[in-house]
Amino acid sequence: MPSPSYPTLWPFLIYGILVLLLAGGMLFISHFLGERHQEKETDEVYEAGIEATGTARLLFPVHFYLIAMFFVIFDLEAVFIISWAIAIRDVGWGGYLAVVIFVAILVAVLIYEWRIGALNFGPQGKKILRAYRHKIKGVNHNEVVDKQNN
Amino acid sequence: MNALISTAVFGIFLMISGLFIKSKQAIRILAISGVVAAFVLNIIDFRQYGASATELFHGMLSVTNFGLLFIEIILGCVLVYFLLSGKDLANIGHYTGEYFALIFFILCGVVLAATYGNMLMLFLSIEIMSIPQYILAGSDKHNLKSHEASLKYFLMGAFSTGFLLMGIALLYGATGSFDITTMNLAGRPIDAMALAGIILIAFALAFKVSAAPFHFWTPDVYDGAPTVVTSFISTIVKVGGFVAFIRLFHIAFGSPDVDKHWLLVLSIITAATLIIGNVTAVFQQSVKRMLAYSSISQAGFMLFAVIAMNVLSWQGILLYAAAYSLATIGCFAILMKMKDYTYDGYNGLAQKQPLLALMNTIFLFSLVGIPATAGFLAKYFVLSAAVEKGGLLWLVILAVCCAAISAFYYFRLIWAMYFKAGDCQVEEHAITPAFKSVLALTALLVIILGVWPGLILAWI
Repeated sequence: MPSPSYPTLWPFLIYGILVLLLAGGMLFISHFLGERHQEKETDEVYEAGIEATGTARLLFPVHFYLIAMFFVIFDLEAVFIISWAIAIRDVGWGGYLAVVIFVAILVAVLIYEWRIGALNFGPQGKKILRAYRHKIKGVNHNEVVDKQNN
Repeated sequence: MNALISTAVFGIFLMISGLFIKSKQAIRILAISGVVAAFVLNIIDFRQYGASATELFHGMLSVTNFGLLFIEIILGCVLVYFLLSGKDLANIGHYTGEYFALIFFILCGVVLAATYGNMLMLFLSIEIMSIPQYILAGSDKHNLKSHEASLKYFLMGAFSTGFLLMGIALLYGATGSFDITTMNLAGRPIDAMALAGIILIAFALAFKVSAAPFHFWTPDVYDGAPTVVTSFISTIVKVGGFVAFIRLFHIAFGSPDVDKHWLLVLSIITAATLIIGNVTAVFQQSVKRMLAYSSISQAGFMLFAVIAMNVLSWQGILLYAAAYSLATIGCFAILMKMKDYTYDGYNGLAQKQPLLALMNTIFLFSLVGIPATAGFLAKYFVLSAAVEKGGLLWLVILAVCCAAISAFYYFRLIWAMYFKAGDCQVEEHAITPAFKSVLALTALLVIILGVWPGLILAWI
């Protein structure tokens, strides 16, 4: 925001205009000078150079995402506790009380995560078996339907 | 600060108890007793704090009796909300305990918004209010519109939070303080940095209270979210955003040589909010969407309390918080019992459910601002605050014209209920005597506040 009391702000304005011009110019020029291909494989999905094997829109387990999220959460909590540990003598009993409350909240969250099964990683035998049984039942059911139709 | 601690503890308690208690009814009763407990504990707090601010936690919180009274109003409205719509909230999906826990976390944020004394606490309160809302808006997992609402709300909310943080950083650069009372903008000439900070914070808070031209997320989010959640986020949370707004702008930016820099910007925002909210609401066919736009237009009236800055505006925002929240929660509670959310879905409600139609009429009267309802006095207080401030007469005239426009779309619903023949579909089994009596008590409260505002205002 240029104002009389800040005469040094104008280089910032020029810098901003230059950034816009550069970014806009890149897009604009490449639109006219850029190469264009229209061949058989132009619109194909790029999959590391080999031919695509199928659609990319499939369901996949998000366990890694969950692990990453837990890592961030617990890591950040460790940071808070370490920053308390550095100042442990200065903050005294008041600080100790604050950390106790903080850790109590962490414990509550841990109980919650445990209980909803967010910490169960990897394949679970019982679940797979149940799904398998369900599938077999489903197939049988379909066969019955088919026979009736025939 | 009993309210702050009790809402936070109850939130965690409900989150855990949702895992061990399977009965939705039991969790709902737990949540109601939690609100009652917070309500009572806050009354006990009331004796200790006066009109001048008491600093807690090294100035992080600055508690006044205004803040406590505001919290009391909010807790009362949440109690009404739980009693009227608690069953619908419990039945959104499987995670009953979590829904109630998220509501308590939002309450914790509202309590912070009413008592913060430091910019960091302002940021924290806005975030604690917002993040559970993103989850609640997307809690109807089988509805694609609910997902859309959640994502839209999250993206827009994150964007406005960025504005808020940039504004706070600029103000810190200009004044060297996060504390809203010692920031002392008045003692020096306002430079570009402080001005940019104030404007950025104003925009971010206008985003949160859905004032035009930052209102574009509102209709989609309010329409897409489950109705019971919309009822909450369009009342309690919006009002909580307003208390953060009014406290910041009165305490930190309120002195006369500072306010001349932002008054015009906020006046234009108010005018735009009033016009856009009211005119667009006229064209809606769905009552849920109409209520979304009506919440934008009511935000325009509440903005008067921010720009007027005198004793009347403090009283006005308290009354407006109670009047608007109670009436809108009541309207939504009735809307949830309808099977068809369009205006035509209300046709002939007066024959089928005369009590519901009568209560809905009282709530709509209050939203329009008919005398002898709370809405009238609330509008009277905020508008007379603006008149007393001076120089805002054009805005007041505009607001009165917009209130006249708002009568059209509110009365259209009354017209549908009473004067149109039709066979409206109501969920009969959900309209229990208990529901009816709570609804009647809420309507009674709306009328009592309309003739005796001292019920609230005598406390400050």
